[in-house]
Amino acid sequence: MEDLLDMLEKVNQLSLTDEEKAVAAGYFAATEKDFATFSAVDTDGVEPMVHVMPLENVLREDVSSQPFTREDLQKGAPEAEDGYWEVPRLIE
Amino acid sequence: MTYTTKKEPTFTKDAIALDDMILTKDSPTTAGSKMLEGYTSLFDATVAEKLSEDYEILGKVAVSEFALGMLADSAATALDEKEIKAVVGLDANGAYRRTAALTGKVFVKPTYGTVSRFGLIPVACSGDTVGVMADGADEAKEVLGVIAGHDDKDGTSLPQEVCAAALDAGTIKKIAVVKDFTANLSAEMTAKVDAAIEKAKAQGAEIIEVDGGVLSQAKLAWAILSSAEFCNNVSRYDGVKYGYRAKGCHSIEEIYVRSRSETFGSAVKSAILYGSHVLSTDNYDKMYDKALRVRRLVKAYFDELFTKVDAVLLPACSKTDLSATECVYEESKYTAPASITGLPVVVAAGVQWLGKPLADGALLAFSKQLA
Repeated sequence: MEDLLDMLEKVNQLSLTDEEKAVAAGYFAATEKDFATFSAVDTDGVEPMVHVMPLENVLREDVSSQPFTREDLQKGAPEAEDGYWEVPRLIE
Repeated sequence: MTYTTKKEPTFTKDAIALDDMILTKDSPTTAGSKMLEGYTSLFDATVAEKLSEDYEILGKVAVSEFALGMLADSAATALDEKEIKAVVGLDANGAYRRTAALTGKVFVKPTYGTVSRFGLIPVACSGDTVGVMADGADEAKEVLGVIAGHDDKDGTSLPQEVCAAALDAGTIKKIAVVKDFTANLSAEMTAKVDAAIEKAKAQGAEIIEVDGGVLSQAKLAWAILSSAEFCNNVSRYDGVKYGYRAKGCHSIEEIYVRSRSETFGSAVKSAILYGSHVLSTDNYDKMYDKALRVRRLVKAYFDELFTKVDAVLLPACSKTDLSATECVYEESKYTAPASITGLPVVVAAGVQWLGKPLADGALLAFSKQLA
C-alpha cells in the first residue's frame, strides 16, 4: 500500500504527511472490502453508461466573443507581470 | 458563525443564501478550500443570476472542502438563524440529504439536467446537482421553480420543456421500501424510517417491500466514478494561474506540489489518489469501466421498479449521530443510488423519497403532505 500511495502522490503532484497517508490508506481499505462483490456483478453485454440522461451534441453559432480581458483574467493570479503569469525560470 | 454574510437584507424581497460552491461575481467563492482562499469569480453562476432576479442573495454558506464532507450543517444552521427562505447548494455526495434527514429540513435534489451546473465549482460532473434546502416543501418548490430551466451554457442541460415538466405535480400512491437498506440501521434511524412509512400510509400510500438487488453496488461504483471525475476536476488547481501559491518555490514542479499539498485536506487528497488509481492502466477496465456498466444496471433496476411504484424510500444515513470525521464512503451507501443515476430525491420526514426522472414536482407535493 505504501508503494502504491507513493506512486499516486507523485503522479498527482502531491505530498502527503504520514497522517494523511493513513487516512488515504483507510479509504482504499474501505473500498477494497466491497470490491469482491462489485467485481462479481455480471456486466457481460452491459454497455458503459457515461451520462445519466440522454444527451445530444451541443452546438452554438460560430461567433467569437471575448468576455474577459487579459487584465480581468489575471486579477486572481498569485504572481503576474506585464500581462504574463510569472513562474520560476523553466530553462536554465 | 457558520456562514458568511455579504450584506444585511432589506427585506424588499425574500432573502436566500448560496453555498460556497456556487460562483458569484465580485465576491469570494472558496469551495471550503484554502486553495481558493480569496478567489473571486469574474462571473455569476447561472443559478446565482436567476436567483438574484427574484431574491436578495444574503451571502454564502460555508461548505466542507469541495463539499466532500459528511454534513452540510452550516446550511441548516443558516436556515435556523437567518431570515432566509432557502439555501441553494451543490449536492455532490449526499451531505445535504444526510443533513436534511437529521435536522428535519426539506431538501430537493432535482433530476440531473434540470438545473444548470454552469458556474459551479465542479466535483463529480456526472452527478453534481444543485439542490434546495428549506424549512418546508412549499419554499423548496418555489425556489426550485426559479432555478430550474434550460441553460445553453451547460452542455448537460435538458430542454426547457423537459425542465418545466419536472415541476408538474403528480401523485405518489405506491412506494417501495428497499429491504437491504432498512436493515442494520441504528434504533433512532429505524424509528425515523418507520415513522415516515406510517406518515405515507396515513396519506393513503401503499407500501411494498422490495429486494435491493444491484442497488448496494451503487456505493462503490459511485465512489469510483466520482473520485475519477474529482481527480480530473481538481487538477486545475496548481498554484499558477489563480488560487494559492506556496511561497519561495524555485521550480514550477515545486509550485505544483507544494501549493496543492499545503492547501488540500486529507479527504481531498484521498479522493484524488483513489481517482487516479481507478483510472490507471491496470485498473481502468476492472474499476472505472466496470463502474460505468454497474451504473447502467442500477439505472435499469430503478427503471423496472418505477413501472410498479411511484417512489422509493431509502434512509439518508445509517444513524442519527453522524460525525464530521467519519468515513463518508460508508454512509454513501444510502445516497449513492440517486447520485449515480441522477434521479430526483426529496428528503422529508427524515428519509429520502426517490422518484423517476422528472418526478420532482410529484415528490415535493407528496412531501408536503408528510409535514
